[in-house]
Amino acid sequence: MSEGTNRRTVLAGGLTVGAGLAVGSTLARTATAGTTPAPNTRRSVSLVVNGTRRRLEVDPRTSLLDALRDQVGLTGAKKGCDQGACGACTVLLNGRRVLSCLTLAVMHDGDEVTTVEGLASGDRRHPMQQAFMDLDGFQCGFCTSGQIVSAVGLLAEKPDLRRAEIPELMSGNLCRCAAYCNIRDAIATAAGLGEDG
Amino acid sequence: MSIGTPITRIEAPSKVNGQAVYTADVQLPGMVHAVMVGSTIAAGRLRAIDTRAAESAPGVLAVLTHRNVPRWHGTPDDLHYVEPRFPLADTEIHYHDQCVAVVVATTREQAAYAAGLVAVEYEARPVVASLDAALPTAHEPVWRFEPLFPSVVEVGGPKEAFAGSAAKVDAEYRTPYHSHAPIEPNATVAQWERGRLNIHKTSQDVHGDRRIIAGALGVPADHVRVWSTLVGGAFGNKTTVWPHTLLAAVASRQVGPPVRLVTTRKQVFTGHGHQPPIIQHLRVGADADGTLRAIIHETTNGTPILFDDPEPTISPSASMYAVPALGAYVRVADMHMPAPALLRTPGDGPGMFAVGSAMDELSYALNLDPLELRRRNHLAHHPLKRKPWSGKQLLDCYALGAERFGWDRRAPRPRAMRDGDDWVGFGMSSAQRLEPHTAATATVAILDDGTAEVRTSIAEIGTGNLTTLVQIAADGTGVPVRRFGIVSGDTDLPEAAPTHGSRSTGSTGTAVHLAAQNARLAATRLAVADPRSPLHGLPTDRVGAADGRLFAVDAPERGESYQDLLRRNHVKAVTEEGHHDPNAKNQQFAFATFGAHFTEVRINRNVPRVRVTRHVAVFAIGRVLNPKTARNQAQGGIVFAAGQTLSEQLTQDPATGLFVTPAFTDYHVPVHADVGEIDVSFVEEPDYNAHPHGAKGLGEVVCVGVHAAIANAVYHATGIRVRELPITPDKLARLVRESG
Ligand code: FES
Ligand code: FES
Repeated sequence: MSEGTNRRTVLAGGLTVGAGLAVGSTLARTATAGTTPAPNTRRSVSLVVNGTRRRLEVDPRTSLLDALRDQVGLTGAKKGCDQGACGACTVLLNGRRVLSCLTLAVMHDGDEVTTVEGLASGDRRHPMQQAFMDLDGFQCGFCTSGQIVSAVGLLAEKPDLRRAEIPELMSGNLCRCAAYCNIRDAIATAAGLGEDG
Repeated sequence: MSIGTPITRIEAPSKVNGQAVYTADVQLPGMVHAVMVGSTIAAGRLRAIDTRAAESAPGVLAVLTHRNVPRWHGTPDDLHYVEPRFPLADTEIHYHDQCVAVVVATTREQAAYAAGLVAVEYEARPVVASLDAALPTAHEPVWRFEPLFPSVVEVGGPKEAFAGSAAKVDAEYRTPYHSHAPIEPNATVAQWERGRLNIHKTSQDVHGDRRIIAGALGVPADHVRVWSTLVGGAFGNKTTVWPHTLLAAVASRQVGPPVRLVTTRKQVFTGHGHQPPIIQHLRVGADADGTLRAIIHETTNGTPILFDDPEPTISPSASMYAVPALGAYVRVADMHMPAPALLRTPGDGPGMFAVGSAMDELSYALNLDPLELRRRNHLAHHPLKRKPWSGKQLLDCYALGAERFGWDRRAPRPRAMRDGDDWVGFGMSSAQRLEPHTAATATVAILDDGTAEVRTSIAEIGTGNLTTLVQIAADGTGVPVRRFGIVSGDTDLPEAAPTHGSRSTGSTGTAVHLAAQNARLAATRLAVADPRSPLHGLPTDRVGAADGRLFAVDAPERGESYQDLLRRNHVKAVTEEGHHDPNAKNQQFAFATFGAHFTEVRINRNVPRVRVTRHVAVFAIGRVLNPKTARNQAQGGIVFAAGQTLSEQLTQDPATGLFVTPAFTDYHVPVHADVGEIDVSFVEEPDYNAHPHGAKGLGEVVCVGVHAAIANAVYHATGIRVRELPITPDKLARLVRESG
């Protein structure tokens, strides 16, 4: 790379960010010495991701999260723990929020998945995305995709959400930077809740 | 002016739409995957390792062990942090989950599967896995590099002064292993291209990392390029070059294609830094009116077997109060633990837990309001350096905080405030953190298309530094923020200060400030020398800059845009450098950031779980660059420290040395439901003695004092003094029962 290239050109040119290379990750290291290795086969699975049908060939051990990140090329959903304990991988599966690290891609043939990348309509941010931006509902941003998707799912589950319920109902989404005060304000704003709503 | 305005983070759009790139999102063509295998004992040696099954598993490209890892080159003589023993260097095991093998395969599934096939035989040795068990080895630290602080400070005969004091506190405070636990696991992608190494990693300091990586691999530093994309939280744990980075690099050299190694959540807990357990013995003596007479602060922290890593826990007692007699002693004791790492806030975090608690205990012994005790011992100068503090508005922090909190509603006696089944308690503490100065360089370019750009190697770890640096540059050049870009996180850029120890605003911010001033001056010179410019002939100091335009200060309508000036002169860009030289800092003053915390806890008397329902904090950090990001960072730091106080603890089994809580399910970081109301304000007064832009660090001082404020509130609520963190319900329930 020449002196003059900056990080943006490097990311755009030198690297393919989120391109469809076939990789993934197992859910847990369950193998032990002496067991027969899992057959090196791939299964075909068809997902509707953010409105687009995608046919994937996946290792049966691949989580939905890894399939989305490494095969579909959508890296918005993050892997914070791969154990169902942080919420960074939250996506909507047929409209309900799920932890995509805790479910296998092969289990979802025909299912509809919405990730953070699919929330905007065209160039218009989803109101939840806008509220997170306006109210600074993040710091490092690593938990943010999960927080936003989870909040969108929460409002769908509970249209009569009250402000006081937000903390409890969002507690599956950890934010180590602890932007919690702003996250709950952002959710309340996007939900149209007032101070005492 | 953009400084002081609550502008939205410049990278915010990418953070809400999923486009923001972090290290594990980076994919390179042909990239393969590596997984580390960790030891299942904490002390001993490898007797045998059988990698045949793993090597013949599908997709496996290589298995690295001590037998075939290439020879490491020497530890670089650098203050940056790396374990002195390189990974896989020998067969010795010094801690649990120490890397014993790396499996490289085409896919991560294949690598993870084959990792489970590596069979290891160990010869276990007895472990030292609790600080109590390690105490017989406690010793004065031996520094690997130049000492960062004195491990013994003694003035004025502390023992005698303490013995002769009218009021005394003599107590021991304990803090456990605490983890950084950023949500983003540490990760590295390594790629070799014709003898040159490209590294993408989760990093707080790309230049520092490069020196270590190059030194370890024995390649010239200019053959290594390190990028840090956005970082998903760090808190100090991405300061160190951990084994996984070096292993990804050697793995890629071995197999050819680029290698991605993303650590597991467990590995983040077991091998990517922590704050070690610490025991602090404090003796504080005072006159009957509360005037401090003596402090004896003895602190011992656990340290790895292979090197001494002292925690500067004595910092508050050596810098807060006018104590005629002070004894401060730092010792370390050998344990089978992985390398610690700077954890927000090193030294002052645990140190102020002890000092802030002891001050509270003293206030009850004297029957004095704890806030009043602090006021009486307020000090305008650094007690050891004997220099006046610059920008110490601590008394204002006390006053404003007490008012916002309603401190005057505090009942003087403990267990006197009730609300139904809840005990209610108020507690407070001071906060102080020395302001560091580190070398930093940046450039600012004003371009002929009307835009401008900051270039510096800084990593964005969530603190908002890309935004605040752009604000500094915008005000320095007069080019508006919305037309500014920043290029960062790359060793091809000028070296910023590391993003630990609250250095970004002060040191890198100063470099950017100077670069912006220089760029504006260069453009101004061009204008006043140009007969076609409306500014021709003016002295440079009569030219102002705003809205992307240079103008005559005495006649603002007279002027022209940077764009017109540069285009007419066929100059593509005016680029200037700024450098912050730590040796050139103002020697007249001592520098720190200050604050005061006031907290309300509620504790159900039947199920004594501590809830922090209300927290008021006020900080004096000089000028606030961006109130929106500053408030967020302060609230986050308070919650971070509250987690350390109430629920976080990495537990090591004392018999085996294994870590038994290396997961978010067991290491309890605060969640949404734990967080009450947090009211943050700032006493705003620019500190131009500290830095030319008047701002100082924020990320660390916000955590200091929170632990003590909460523990003091717990005492006030219950009459029970908890001197060992975390204050968990089981611990408190036992103490409540014992207290009757
Ligand atoms: S990555 Fe799925 S919950 Fe953490
Ligand atoms: S913004 Fe960093 S973890 Fe939430």
